[in-house]
Amino acid sequence: MNERKACIIAAGVSNFGVRQAHIVDLFQEAAKRCLGDIPALKPKDIDGLLVATSLAGRCSSQTNTAPVVAERLGLRPTSFCTRIDTLCAGGNSGILLAKALVESGMAEVVMVTGAEKLYMPQRWEVFYSELTAGEHDWDCAHGLGLPPPYFALHAKEHMKHYGTTKEQLAAVSVTNYNFGSVNPNAHFQKKLTMEEALNARPIASPFTLYDCCPITDGAAAAIVTFEEKAKELSNRPLVYIRGGSQVSLHSVSANWPGEHLGDWPHLRLAAKKAYEYAKVCPDDIDVANTHDCFSISEIIEMEEFGFCKKGEGGPYVASGQINLGGKVPVNTDGGLLSCGHPFGATGIRQAAELLKQLQGRATNQVQGAEIALAHNLSGLCAEHTIVIYGREPVK
Amino acid sequence: MTIPGIPILDNKYPASMDLWPIEAKEFNRIYKFYDNLKEGRFTTTKCKKCGYVAYPPRVICPECYSDELEYIDLPRKGKVIVFTEQVRGVPLGFEPPPLIHAWIDLGEDSPVKRLLSRVINCPAGKLKEGDEVQFVVFEVPAHPIEVGKETKMAERVFFAFEPVNK
Repeated sequence: MNERKACIIAAGVSNFGVRQAHIVDLFQEAAKRCLGDIPALKPKDIDGLLVATSLAGRCSSQTNTAPVVAERLGLRPTSFCTRIDTLCAGGNSGILLAKALVESGMAEVVMVTGAEKLYMPQRWEVFYSELTAGEHDWDCAHGLGLPPPYFALHAKEHMKHYGTTKEQLAAVSVTNYNFGSVNPNAHFQKKLTMEEALNARPIASPFTLYDCCPITDGAAAAIVTFEEKAKELSNRPLVYIRGGSQVSLHSVSANWPGEHLGDWPHLRLAAKKAYEYAKVCPDDIDVANTHDCFSISEIIEMEEFGFCKKGEGGPYVASGQINLGGKVPVNTDGGLLSCGHPFGATGIRQAAELLKQLQGRATNQVQGAEIALAHNLSGLCAEHTIVIYGREPVK
Repeated sequence: MTIPGIPILDNKYPASMDLWPIEAKEFNRIYKFYDNLKEGRFTTTKCKKCGYVAYPPRVICPECYSDELEYIDLPRKGKVIVFTEQVRGVPLGFEPPPLIHAWIDLGEDSPVKRLLSRVINCPAGKLKEGDEVQFVVFEVPAHPIEVGKETKMAERVFFAFEPVNK
């Protein structure tokens, strides 16, 4: 057998938002849109299934989610059928695992899907359930549920060490909201002005409303197979999964691996490993979807990915380098800030955008994009997951 | 409007919904940490073989995998590096806002150099970067636990930091 090369060939995203739907309904919506993206592929052709969801056990009282999803989607996986829980990185974990499954020959055609249903009948339970998203007995027992306060501390440290400003944080929100304003699946289709961003209601200083991604229900699905099969199923340009990485150096915040909270060595390491695996360098990246759970996250990510120097992320984003025409346009579908963040779905929503970018059919198209990068951090920045896509395979 | 709980859970304690750890010795092997907390001590485990200090406390040393560990005391005072006062999305059990979260420097000599902690006993708008804070232990609700045929109440405490100059 020739060495197999994994490709992503189709993707679909459900409407994101406060959804009047069960998590199992959301999986079905995403799968319909995903297979709608590739008419030659039928459910019976899919032999592997990876299901990313973290809160299903808590919020939908459903563990062992993979067989449930397989049955509802009309799939009969014969190679692999597993659920993944890496919280915010569930989708991209699935894409890396799908690559491994098809390249090893264990599976032929894999669906990677992810979803969360986070809104509960009473509002308190939404926030309360998030006390399981960090280390429950340690960080979360201090009241750290939804992470705005934690990343607010990262922002304060970055401001202290590098002089980053609130206006620079807001530049990320404005850019990403304006990208998302033309995305019909996004939680918000709202144009945002700098003035609105700066005058929004406080959440946890220095964060105001638009520095934080919303709480969102939603699902996404994608299809991964190998090059030859991809050519059989699709006439579109091939998009290869060139490589990626996943790095975890700590979990409880007391074991933070950086010199300070504005320093993310685990992301630097993950980026280095992903670049090496995919045989690219920062200058090769044409478009990226990095994890903008908060405005500060995207600023620090620009630095750790090597798009700008360490400490210069603030001026870099404020000078339009993340916009169309900038050095690397980032989160061209609106990112987490505008689309929202149903954890297991997010990496696959990123894949859907980057697939379109590399096939030249994105709404906010980066002309001639050939190499794309997706990134998630998980939980309280305890893990980094990166996927690099390309129009050409690694040679 | 009075809202009833789940009827069949009346007089039951669903520990899966608890916001505090299950600290009783029947449910973990680091209960010494919680016993020490009850005495007002902030401790963690040190390996007797290789000397490595791990936080949170462990059952094995993450460096050499020895299971011969001892509890040592951690500093009880630190300085606020940065902090934030959370005014939206404060979870049930930590209300009313603001909920103050601080990144605390325990000093270069401490095996645990920095720690994220809630700051309590501190009015809104008072805390400043560089302020000295101290370890504080408080009671949290007890929960029932079945031991043999008996149901007993397991008493619990948890910790936070508070300003030294209140």
